[in-house]
Amino acid sequence: MGKTTLSLALGLRYGKQGRKVVLVTSHPLPELALSVSLAGLSSRFPLAAKNLFVVHLNPIELITELVHKHFPMPMVARAVLNSAIFGNLVDVAPGLKEFFFLGRMQQLAERQREATAESADYDYLIWDAPASGHFLSTLRAGRSFETYLTGPLAAAGADLNRFFSNRDNITILPVTPLEDMAVTETLEMTKELSEIFQLPAKAVLVNSVSPVCTASAEDLAQLLTANHPSPAFRFALDRGLMEREMAAALRNMIPAPHVLVPRITRWENDLDLLAQLAGSLNIPGLELPATP
Amino acid sequence: MKIIIHLGTGGVGKTSVAAATALKLARSGVRTLILTTDPSYRLRTALRLENALLEQQVPLEGATGQLWAALLDVRATLDEAVRLHAKADKQEKILQHPIYATIASSLAGMQELMAVERIDQLMRRGYDTIVVDTAPSRHALDLIDKPLHFAALSAARRVKLVGRTYKFVEALGLTTIGRNALDVYKRAEEMLGANLVRQVLDFYSLFFPVAEGYSERAKKTVEILRNPMVTEFRIVSTPAKVLRDATFFVDELATRGISPEKICVNRAWLHPDTREPRSGLQGEILDWYYAVSDSHRAAISEVRAKLGNRVGEILVFNELERDVDGLDALEKIASQIK
Repeated sequence: MGKTTLSLALGLRYGKQGRKVVLVTSHPLPELALSVSLAGLSSRFPLAAKNLFVVHLNPIELITELVHKHFPMPMVARAVLNSAIFGNLVDVAPGLKEFFFLGRMQQLAERQREATAESADYDYLIWDAPASGHFLSTLRAGRSFETYLTGPLAAAGADLNRFFSNRDNITILPVTPLEDMAVTETLEMTKELSEIFQLPAKAVLVNSVSPVCTASAEDLAQLLTANHPSPAFRFALDRGLMEREMAAALRNMIPAPHVLVPRITRWENDLDLLAQLAGSLNIPGLELPATP
Repeated sequence: MKIIIHLGTGGVGKTSVAAATALKLARSGVRTLILTTDPSYRLRTALRLENALLEQQVPLEGATGQLWAALLDVRATLDEAVRLHAKADKQEKILQHPIYATIASSLAGMQELMAVERIDQLMRRGYDTIVVDTAPSRHALDLIDKPLHFAALSAARRVKLVGRTYKFVEALGLTTIGRNALDVYKRAEEMLGANLVRQVLDFYSLFFPVAEGYSERAKKTVEILRNPMVTEFRIVSTPAKVLRDATFFVDELATRGISPEKICVNRAWLHPDTREPRSGLQGEILDWYYAVSDSHRAAISEVRAKLGNRVGEILVFNELERDVDGLDALEKIASQIK
């Protein structure tokens, strides 16, 4: 759906404005998290290169870290980590990995909120979250731990749940292309986020739209009266009209600004693609005043 | 019997390609079943997938084979496994257990475990071919990895609660660190919370017969999934992502001793350039279309050059004018398979 690419483009946009950005990805494989590369950043956008940090959080590494903290003797820690049962337990204990991931996200966010403007480590913390279903089950992990367990993990679960149900802490930006299934999923996800987690969408990023979608109604009406022999044109027009219907449905259902991100057709390299996308990502209410 | 597994990331049209492949097989005389995890609402209706546990036959006029469809509903499959494999007096205890509730409410990671369970159920029902559409994720390979982790856990027979200590200390390998083992274990409880550890262990001790039965079946099923005489892997992607996606899946499968049969490049824009005069909005739309189309052609050539010799075949599917919303659309995709 373009979440990783748009997260990077957004990070690049704010980095170029001189804002410090930490971008967290949670893909299972670090090399794939950055399937779009930032190569060439320091020569083309030196200011952004100074300000943009991409962090990959691997829940397994977080758990490993925790074990090392609790068992300062490396030999003991290794024995625990290497034991088959511990490994398999972590693997099948429901929601445990998600729980650790949320915990670290909260730590990162708190660090930023508690700092004063001058001492803040970063201005934006961008989370390239997993796809809708897995994202919701990640958020639910805190809730489940609070509901079904007692003791320290339940307390931590309650704490996480409070933190991730507070719109002062979290801004939700759903990303969707104008396709049947993606739009349906986006509507279901935003409904659950706003009703259960009290996190309504701040803006919707509508990805990969065509010139038919952005054209004015008058120009389009004129086109529709003519006869078009080219199969390529009829195809582009048909798909574009379908996109317009979906864009309208999406606007009716989600009361937030909808930012149309055009499908980019030509780019020299990944960074160039990101720079072009960054130009379209003017999200109302998220831009900080220009730095001196 | 043959099994065809489709792998791919989200949004590439994996379900459509898998369903069209099943349709094509049914049309050519094969008794085919499509097992899908997450079809769009309209496709679900087209395939008559109302009941989570039953297979439905999709009526096809003039087909020599049969098309059946089944849905992978994780919760329903899990409940069913408990009812089938746990003793009557344990069933309610399991279904009411807090850990079961946690599993059922987050379901993270359960999809692959239950997919294998469902494939196992379906293999006994006499289909010639089962076409599987995996969950949209880069973890698609968990389908063959995860059940084995689970089997390893349930194989540790000592996972039982006895008073305040656990009998499975030896199985943990903690005896190697000597008499401090129990102390270490106490600290493990402090770290993860005694409650979580105990709940999980208590749950698995109840769940054991189900888990053990599951592991036995899963090991056999995974073996079948890894047998190239039975199972074929196909990678589905779109032109923009195909080189990265396919390279990743081909490499990952190779580390498991599997070589995928096909790469399906879906949603390609390949209309020929008719060189019509272009001006105004129409010209803008055409320029835009051909620019995208050129990038698709370039991506397809590149994947042929780089991966052509590592897979049996590379198939290309043209994108349809509308989203795939029913049998007619599936027929259009199926007609592109030679």
